Parts: sequence; C-alpha cells; structure tokens
Amino acid sequence: MAYAIEIDHLTKSYGKNRGVVDVSLKVKEGDIFGFLGPNGAGKSTTIRSMLGFLKFKEGSIRIMGMDSVRDHEKILANVGYMPSEAWFYGTMRVSDVIRYAADVRGLDCTAEAEKLCDRLRVDKNKKIRELSLGNRKKVSIVCAMQHRPKLFIFDEPTGGLDPLMQKNFFDLVYEYVREGATCLLSTHVLPEVNKYCRNAAIMREGRLTMLESPDIDDETFLRFYEEDL
Amino acid sequence: MKKVFLKELRMNVKVLLIWGLAVGGLGMACILLYDSMQGDMKQMADAFSNMGAFSDAFGMSTLSIATLKGYFATEVGTVHGLGSGMFAAILAIGILSREEEGHTGEFLLSLPITRSKTVAVKGAVVVFLLFLFTVFCGIFYAAGSAILGEQLPAREFLVFMSRQLLMNLEIAGICFAISSLSGKNRTGAGIGITLLFYIFDLTGRVVPDLKDYLYLGPYSYANASEIFSGAGTPANALIIAIAVMICGAAFAFFCYNRRDLAA
Repeated sequence: MAYAIEIDHLTKSYGKNRGVVDVSLKVKEGDIFGFLGPNGAGKSTTIRSMLGFLKFKEGSIRIMGMDSVRDHEKILANVGYMPSEAWFYGTMRVSDVIRYAADVRGLDCTAEAEKLCDRLRVDKNKKIRELSLGNRKKVSIVCAMQHRPKLFIFDEPTGGLDPLMQKNFFDLVYEYVREGATCLLSTHVLPEVNKYCRNAAIMREGRLTMLESPDIDDETFLRFYEEDL
Repeated sequence: MKKVFLKELRMNVKVLLIWGLAVGGLGMACILLYDSMQGDMKQMADAFSNMGAFSDAFGMSTLSIATLKGYFATEVGTVHGLGSGMFAAILAIGILSREEEGHTGEFLLSLPITRSKTVAVKGAVVVFLLFLFTVFCGIFYAAGSAILGEQLPAREFLVFMSRQLLMNLEIAGICFAISSLSGKNRTGAGIGITLLFYIFDLTGRVVPDLKDYLYLGPYSYANASEIFSGAGTPANALIIAIAVMICGAAFAFFCYNRRDLAA
C-alpha cells in the first residue's frame, strides 16, 4: 500500500512550549483523512511542519514518498494547500491571484480555474481587500485545486463558507479524490469527518491518537476536548 | 522566479514613485532655487566657509556654495543622502517580513518556490528598485541643472550617484538581514539605522577624535562634498561597504532558511 503522507515520530517544540510530541501518522493514497482536535492541539503545527513552514529536529516526514525537507519544492508542486486564514495580497484582483498561483507553478490552469470559479461562484474582478473571509476562502480553494494536485491539505476549510459552498467544496474534493488524489482535512467539525472522511485521527495536547473509525459520536468526540487522554 | 520578481516589482512600484518623486523632486527644486539665491550666495559662501568644524562637516570649507557644484554637494547631497538612505531602509526592512506580517507567507511559500529562491528574488527586487531610484533621481538632478543652463561636472556627478547607490545597498543589506529575522515590519528601526549612520558621519566630521573611524559608516564614502572636491577614493570604506552588503545578504539566506515562519 502506497502512502501519501508518512510522519514518523515527529516532535516539534517552540522553545520551551510544546508543539507536537512523537506524532506518527500514515495516510494512504486516495484517502480522505480527517484530522481532528481542539485549538492549540497541534494540528496546524503538524501541517505546517509537513509543508516546510516550521523546522523540526526530531522525526521525519515523507510526502508521496519524498522527504519533506530535501524534496520540499517537488512536494509543493504536487500539493494543494488551503490555510485556515486565507490571506492574499490585498491590492491584487482575485483573477490576478489565481493566475499568479498558476504562473509560479509554471502551469496554465485557466480551464480548471474557470470551472472552479463557476462552481464556487467566485467574483474574479474584485480586489482581495474587498472580500469577506468566506470569499477569500473560496479563492484559496481555487488556488489549492486549480493545478489538480496529488495531495490536498485543508486546514479548517469550511469556516466562513455558507452551507451550499460547503457542499460544493466537498463535491469537488470527492471528484478529485475519485481521480486519484488524497485529502488531509483538518477540522473542528465532527459531522464533516463523519460524513466525508474514510479514516481519522484526533490530536490533543500535541499527541495524536488514531481513531478506529471516523464515525464517532458527539460524546466521545467531546471527551477528547475535555479529558486527559 | 520571474513571476515572483515581477509581482514584487508591481507591489513596490508605488513606493518607488513616491520616494523617487519626493527625493528627486526636492533635489531638483533645490537646484532650481540656486538661480534665485545666486545673488546672496557670495556673502553666504564666505560666512559658511568660516564656521570651523561645521564648515568641514558640511563640506563648505572645501567647496563654495556660490558655485552650482558646491551648492549641489552641500544641499542636494544632503537631501539625496538622507532620502535615499531612508528609502533603502524602508524597502529592505519590510520586503521579507511583510509576508508574515500580512499573513501572505503561507500562500507564497505553499507554492513550489524554496525559501532560498524567495530571498534571492526579493533581494534582487531591492537591488533593482534602488538602481531605478538612483537613475530616477539622477535624471531629476540633471534636468534641474539643464533648466538652469549650467552643467554639473559629469564625472563627479556619476561618482556621487554611484557611491550613493552603494551606500543605499549597504543600508539595504543590513535592513534585509533584519527583515529575515522576524515576521514584524520594523520600518522605524530601518529609519533609525539610517539616521544613526548619518549622525555618526556628521559627528565624525565635527569631532576630530572620531575622524579616523568615519570609514566604518556608509555615509563616509558617499559624501558629496568630498566627491565634488576631488578627494581620493576611500578604499577601506568601500571594502567594508561591500563586505557588509554580502554579510547582510548571507545572513538573510541563513536565517530565513532556518527559522519557523509565522502563520
């Protein structure tokens, strides 16, 4: 079985503050993997370590079989990342941001970007600074998907999106996954994991616990927020 | 990389135009005022050349402000030196940190471009914009003297503008290194560094004990009065400038590649 993500004993701290502790995780190719956990649990730290935003000294991360440090640029060419806070250059127009993301990748993604903008109802003529959080998130989705990456990493993607756009977003995820992509979905929203994910893990205080099934009930889920592991 | 370079240029072109127009325009206005002040200039030149250390500090003991050359060196030299130094500092100190402060770092660095390439592109943008700024201001000053119907000595003028560019690059090198340190824009620190260097140079020219250490600061080799009065090339100061520039850029590469980026 090939793995899209292999994290092996990752430990990351910020000075004396805990980041993540001894995290090991494998996500199979073609999976939609739910990544749950309270605020500050270490979900974003794990994701940001995978993408090279954070430097870690202990453990290793392999993405699509490539070393996350050595093959950083190659990995990013095959990843579509959507951060929890979708920020772009305020003075640029939406269409310019989308084209810029494609241009830096050296790809012509015009057709795919058009399709995504239609599905997500993105107004391409507006300036970024005129957009609400939800609309910035939609631009972020287009930037993450237009190059049809092999791996999607979404950090709380649906916050700020209306229910119809949330549905459209997951429809798109399903379409790309059916074509062979893998998706790591970091979220607080349990129903999203129950409904869309095939496997899931939960983080608490920097440590990761694999769930036997993503179909957990609210009570079990909330226990992770309230009690010690 | 070309796309990132062009995007950075587009994002900074407004700042270039504002500073270029302000510094170049102010310098040109100073040159144009020369004509109307020429009548009183003779007496002023005599008075200014007999002010001891202060005359030395502003170069008025070696150059007469009654001539366009002397007037340019003392007036426009100061305006351009301070203005361009501040522009270099503001430009360089924000170019890397701005991505984190504006939360755009995650967008940029999630694209397939390494941190080293990001630093290289942004460094190249700073160098290119400072070059454009120097040319821009140079055209203003040349136009000003042409309108007056007088000519500045071409060689000295080119040396002055080149040294000013080098001085800007040295300040930018220091500020670029600071920019790589954290995700906070430190514009105030950049302006402070420029003023500190300027005051160091000014003080060094007034206080005899400090004269031997003038070469440590970037304003020493870019001093208009010295250049226009034909003083020799300060080789040690130029070597230090190039070394500081290289160290600043190397530090930026080293630091930006090794630290965690803010969300």
